Amino acid sequence: MRYGYYPGCSLEGISAEYDESIRSLFKHLGVVIEDLPDWICCGTLAAPSMGRLLGLATPLWNVARAKQAGYDQLIAPCSACLYHFKHAAKRVAENPTLRIEVEALLDLPLTSPPPTIHPLELLTADGIEARIKQSVRRDLSDLKVVCYYGCHISRPAAVMQFDDPENPKSMDRLLSWVGVQVLDWSGKVDCCGAHYSLIKPDIVVDLCQGLFKSALEVGAEAIVVACPMCHANLDTRQGEIAARLGRSLNVPVLYFSQVLGYALGLPVQSLGLKRHLVDPLPLMLAKCKTSV
Amino acid sequence: MAFRHEIEALSGQNVNLCFQCSKCSAGCPLVDKMDLKPAQVMHSIRLGREDAVLNSQTIWLCLGCETCSARCPQQVEPAAVMNAARILALQRGIKPTIKEVGIYYRGFVDNMRLNGKIHDASVVGVTRLLAGHLFDDLPLAWKLFTRGRLKLPPLPLRGGGFRKLYRRALEREAR
Repeated sequence: MRYGYYPGCSLEGISAEYDESIRSLFKHLGVVIEDLPDWICCGTLAAPSMGRLLGLATPLWNVARAKQAGYDQLIAPCSACLYHFKHAAKRVAENPTLRIEVEALLDLPLTSPPPTIHPLELLTADGIEARIKQSVRRDLSDLKVVCYYGCHISRPAAVMQFDDPENPKSMDRLLSWVGVQVLDWSGKVDCCGAHYSLIKPDIVVDLCQGLFKSALEVGAEAIVVACPMCHANLDTRQGEIAARLGRSLNVPVLYFSQVLGYALGLPVQSLGLKRHLVDPLPLMLAKCKTSV
Repeated sequence: MAFRHEIEALSGQNVNLCFQCSKCSAGCPLVDKMDLKPAQVMHSIRLGREDAVLNSQTIWLCLGCETCSARCPQQVEPAAVMNAARILALQRGIKPTIKEVGIYYRGFVDNMRLNGKIHDASVVGVTRLLAGHLFDDLPLAWKLFTRGRLKLPPLPLRGGGFRKLYRRALEREAR
């Protein structure tokens, strides 16, 4: 199995710790990933708003290069990139005329391209559970978290075809394999406000306030995420939310790859655990019953 | 072409499948801020209320979270319909009714034309500057910089491939 890796723009900037922890984790588990050559931004909602063909050709630029490179699957850790790749690929798969138009723009073929997957799909595939369970090196059984999936990992189902769009469980399962106490809560797939952090931060503060409320109500000590946008909003907007609530929050927000890597005994530096605005290390050290 | 048919051609969606159950409006995280609710946008398109739709705040407020598309019992994707309405509004020269969103999308694609990828800090900086809020998040920017999460723009610029794609895609679309 050859895996292509598409980090996306966020993982080269504001979410450097997601990139570090994913790479360290895959290396530790012996999963070889190859960086997609010559990749460009997925275009998010901006390119599709400028034109139909631009909105399809921009993400498919990368999908076509993944096919050209001969990968079996392309891994995209950012769930927005993931959605735009899968959505555009579905549109051209269902419409051969459209596919030919986009192929002409890209000068590359797009027939049966390799599927794009989220790293969670790889890490929760059949047969991996026992391997992850026996690799645990740090006991995190005192740590209580909620898993926050956000918008695009499984939604809409017709496009994403992974996990349950209303009540996803892949991340819950993965973290429970390494002993973390994963709590059920109602905020799993609510939207964090995404790019409104740059446009109308008040909207993000509104939406994230609701998420913190739900998470704290069930007793979570940290929120675990799988999307750079969710992480950025929850990690950076706590000051404003705390001011509104009139109480301090200080809730660590971690990527699943960081929690998993920590449980498997990877060094703190290799997981980017020192890059957060809300420092997660005091909590992790307090909850860790064995160290390596 | 009738307004509805233009929307359908751009979005790949059959708007006539909508039977106004309003699940899209019920689940939308921004519905309380919208002038037309998502189900009203769908119905307005069927009624040919082009001005109402293309001048609405709703089409620019839509975050693309896809809750509506996930829950539609008719498998219509209202989020794709919103996107088609944004394309048409721009084609018609109608300014985005949420100014900041228009600035952000334009700035985002312009940034891609420089380097293919975006440089997140400069997209934020340009959006905040043009929207008149440059200084709001500077303390936050500094905190991110000290943690290595805010990088300098990558050089040399390598956006040639995307610039060509951008030009050809928009030319083809205009035909």
